[in-house]
Amino acid sequence: MSKVESGMESMIDMYIFETNTLLEQLDEILLKTEQAQTFTDDDINEIFRIMHTVKGSSAMMGFDELQLLAHKGEELFFIIREKPGQLEDVSFIYDLVFRMSDLFKAEVELIQSEDEYEATDFSDTIKDLDKGAAMLTDGAHSPIDSGIGTYASVEQEKAADCSGEGVMTVRIFFQEGCKMENLRSFMLLNKIREEADVRSFHPADLEGDPNASDVIVEEGFTVTFKSEHDDNESILKLIENAINVESYEVINSGKGSAETVEEAPEQAQGEAAPVPAPVIENVPAVPERIAVQANPESTPPVPATPTANTNQAAQLNAGKQSIISVNLAKLDQLHDIVGEIITTESMVISNPELEGLKLESFLKSARELKKLTDELQDTVMSIRMVPLAGPFQKMNRIVRDMKMKLGKDAELKIEGENTEVDKTIVDSLNDPLMHLVRNCMDHGIENSIEERLERGKPAKATITLNAVSSSGEVVITISDDGKGIDCEKVLRKAEMNGLLMKPANEYTEREIQQMILMPGFSTNDVVTEFSGRGVGMDVVRDNIEKCGGTLTVESKQGFGTTFMIKIPLTLAIIQGMEVKVDDTVFAIPISTIRQSFKVQNSEIIKDTQRGEMIMIRGECYPIMRLHEKFAIPSEITDFEDGILLLVETDGKSVCLFADRLIGEQQVVVKPFPPYLGRYNIKGAGLSGCTIMGDGSISLIIDVANLIEAY
Amino acid sequence: MAGSTQNTGSLFAQNVKPGDNARLEKEEEITKALTFAIGHQVYGIEIPYVVEILGVPKITRVPCAEVPYFIKGIINVRSKVVPVVNMRSCFGKEEIEYNEKTCTIIVALKDITVGLIVDEVLEVLSVMQKNIAKTPDLNNVNENKFIEYILEMNDGIKLILDIKKIIFDHDLMLRLE
Repeated sequence: MSKVESGMESMIDMYIFETNTLLEQLDEILLKTEQAQTFTDDDINEIFRIMHTVKGSSAMMGFDELQLLAHKGEELFFIIREKPGQLEDVSFIYDLVFRMSDLFKAEVELIQSEDEYEATDFSDTIKDLDKGAAMLTDGAHSPIDSGIGTYASVEQEKAADCSGEGVMTVRIFFQEGCKMENLRSFMLLNKIREEADVRSFHPADLEGDPNASDVIVEEGFTVTFKSEHDDNESILKLIENAINVESYEVINSGKGSAETVEEAPEQAQGEAAPVPAPVIENVPAVPERIAVQANPESTPPVPATPTANTNQAAQLNAGKQSIISVNLAKLDQLHDIVGEIITTESMVISNPELEGLKLESFLKSARELKKLTDELQDTVMSIRMVPLAGPFQKMNRIVRDMKMKLGKDAELKIEGENTEVDKTIVDSLNDPLMHLVRNCMDHGIENSIEERLERGKPAKATITLNAVSSSGEVVITISDDGKGIDCEKVLRKAEMNGLLMKPANEYTEREIQQMILMPGFSTNDVVTEFSGRGVGMDVVRDNIEKCGGTLTVESKQGFGTTFMIKIPLTLAIIQGMEVKVDDTVFAIPISTIRQSFKVQNSEIIKDTQRGEMIMIRGECYPIMRLHEKFAIPSEITDFEDGILLLVETDGKSVCLFADRLIGEQQVVVKPFPPYLGRYNIKGAGLSGCTIMGDGSISLIIDVANLIEAY
Repeated sequence: MAGSTQNTGSLFAQNVKPGDNARLEKEEEITKALTFAIGHQVYGIEIPYVVEILGVPKITRVPCAEVPYFIKGIINVRSKVVPVVNMRSCFGKEEIEYNEKTCTIIVALKDITVGLIVDEVLEVLSVMQKNIAKTPDLNNVNENKFIEYILEMNDGIKLILDIKKIIFDHDLMLRLE
């Protein structure tokens, strides 16, 4: 069996992307409502909309099993929507819907990864969903199809008032052979509902009645409505623009005249295979996308189904259009091209052939160009930056699930989720974060509430996720207020596993704490479903180190544990001071520089033990000669010929000696190429490199590591 | 043959198989190779690995004690930072000053890109099955550990390099000292 019907292949990528986004939204809403212990009308409507969209698009793609699953979910929420009073005990709904959402995600992943996709049978979950629906309706309706039944009947009640001022009846015919007429009618109906008060429609049971499609093919789909703004024209337009609509006929316009309108011919082009929307650019084969926000303050993406999309373009709902998704590879390409433009630009402007010429207007234009290219570069950079909110929000779900399974009460506090990091880093953070949060839940938090109360802590444990960006790095901390790391236990365990390198009593508390990050270490005696296989922490550390970050742990026994991830902003722009040592150019992050100054040799203090030092404002700082440190044969070795820069990070300071300052510049941090990955360049005090305006490469100094190595 | 890749394995398998089919195949072009000189010896790299050929751009040394001597530093190839390796020191030969003939061959394997500095780039030639020489014991000479196979052409012998080893096997390079 091939994955999808022919003609749909180009849409599968978008289907996967959108369904995943919707499911994530669903999870988010569910978690929010579960915490608040109540469904607001908005929440229910939103969930209903998500379910409905997922159902619709699954049906469009021909995934019948998924459609059925979503249908049952939709049904469940339909009942909830209709009976807001009966929501005293809805906790079982969460489990049901989360289960459904997980199944859905797994299935979508299957579709994505496998060439020969076989539909999974969801009958167990569907049965449970039916049961859930039955429990909700409490026998008032028949459990199966009850939702849709009511839906239809509500509409029927309104049908009483079918004639009157401004009420219009339209019969719609779909294109021959476009299939799923009932579903298309249903979607169209929803569109009309947004604009008008639908009084009645025929056939009345679009979803439950298997013959509905045939009826629509033969007799057309008849709908009677009254526009909210007495603007029936706009609704006719909406019908006209809906995809696959062949023609429509106004039976009763409220004035008595009848007219038949044939579809405009240009409508035909997008109809054979419903081409998805100008809103979303469709690039098959590469599923990795990032949502680009045209307006940074705008709300998270509001995706629409492939079908709804085309209609939406006509509707022009403000706000929904401000976000598009773009293939990440294209952004990389754009980024490279911009880099090349900038290099080429400076090649043109500082071309040696121009030397000595008087070029007033040329230089003026050149400055103008430079300004624009700078702006272009900044914009391209900012496109790649995405907030950490995505991976952070996912942790809510982890905490929720583990709370249930482990019987621990905890809440997740999220701070600084708007901190922006390069897209690739956000992706690689997902797994480490998940592991760390699980670890906090499983090992960090006390096993019983009594234990917490005894220590004078609140019964409910808190796990805090925090992100701040500081001096070219993003620091993410995951902390819990649990029992902390038991140093003695760790030490015993390390001894047992033969991990100790020196006598046990020589280890400091901090050293012992770092041991839990070593391979093959687990203090948990019982291996659980979530953690405790003893492979977790070192894998986490490896993953973080792979993208250039570091992981450290701090803990106070009895008070909690804090994991700190420091991640460099790989592609981020930092403000750097460029200094020259012989031919080599170094960039030092401005944020670390306290001052730069010239010195007289008489001010230098020489100490046989600690080398050269200098006294500034009563404090003594060691001097590090960059040419010596990096073994560069520089002619400038006399302090009076060069310049000193006082740099400080994490409360530690050192004076760097360089030949001369070049100037301040925004530099794009690029990691060293992977070919050099096996060498510890970071340890030598270099965090990356950057390409300068003239195309040459400068090295970015990592002040923290430089001081450490000193 | 220790250290040979799957690719060469199959090549040699064809070579030893007697019969008409094998003879037919011998006439066919297997791939193309870019040849270059280091000293008097001619080496080659299979064309699919070659990205482009540049002169010697400005090389920025990576001042880190751990980085071995044959990695000369990093260069900017159209906004991409690419490390460069001097093939002379890679093969344990004396480095010479770069001149107008010196070239940097940019090669790529998966997502790793490396520039190889060579004395001179020569030509692109067709690799025919019939030109592939019977394998001598490649493990005898250190330098030959980088050799994937040897071509016997009318104008001499060309050693086709194993790019995977050049890219991944830094230790092998270091042992050549």
